[in-house]
Amino acid sequence: MGERTVAASVPWAPERGRAGARPSLAAKVLGAAAVLVLATGLYLGLAVVPPDAVQGEVQRIMYLHVPSIVTAYLAFFVVFCSSVLYLWKRDLRFDAVAVSSAEIGVVLTGITLATGSIWGKSTWGVWWTWDARLTLTAILFTIYVGYLMLRAFAEEPQAGARYGAVLAIIGFLDIPLNHLAVQWWRTLHQPSSILRPGGPSVASVMLVPLAINFAGLILLSAYLLLERIRLERIRHRAAETRLKRGRRG
Amino acid sequence: MGSWGFIGLAYGLGSVALLLYLILLKRRLRGAQDELAALEGDGGRRAR
Repeated sequence: MGERTVAASVPWAPERGRAGARPSLAAKVLGAAAVLVLATGLYLGLAVVPPDAVQGEVQRIMYLHVPSIVTAYLAFFVVFCSSVLYLWKRDLRFDAVAVSSAEIGVVLTGITLATGSIWGKSTWGVWWTWDARLTLTAILFTIYVGYLMLRAFAEEPQAGARYGAVLAIIGFLDIPLNHLAVQWWRTLHQPSSILRPGGPSVASVMLVPLAINFAGLILLSAYLLLERIRLERIRHRAAETRLKRGRRG
Repeated sequence: MGSWGFIGLAYGLGSVALLLYLILLKRRLRGAQDELAALEGDGGRRAR
């Protein structure tokens, strides 16, 4: 992302002399916990749980594919809430959370598209098809890549934050549409097997690595979010310093 | 490609994407910290 500057003072920027030089204790704990939980989930998903009766071994891709998209949805929900709060309060802290969480959501959606494509090739015989679920996921990815580009290239940062917030809020509408697409239309993609009326249709032995990897990706996303927000704070501090020096002349 | 080839490709790509993002984020953090240190150091020298 390009360098962003702020035109106003940012009271939440780090103090001089300890300008966010190190990750916080919370970030360190979250990062270590994420590694442990993900290692456990991957071991269970790849080595312990039996293969699927219909798809065989290749179904193990589910233990990465499903937690990735659900965590991406959560990341975009954080973007949505932070964008609403930014438009309401005009507080740069909310904007920093929004842009940071959007990056993480884009990475996770990219992983979902890639793993879904590989899974599709092995089960359907094609890398890609213009199925409603796949297309709406690609649109979701494109919307938030567009959001990040808007933020990176906006000439006037306050306007970039404002337009970005509007785009993020509108873009979030794609998520419920995406979730319901497999119920509303006939799709090649299978119907929801976890978040569905009547409870999960997946065998409980398969739910364990799914839940563990989901927890691991949430911990990893929280760690990445704290680190990405730290980057925003340092950038704001640098912008503030430049502004003060400019005023002094 | 066999089933485990597809599985390896999916998990490999996922791991590389996450690791790459983490490495780039750490690099951006270092760059921003260096820039801030230079700005504040320079400002400090000016003030003196």
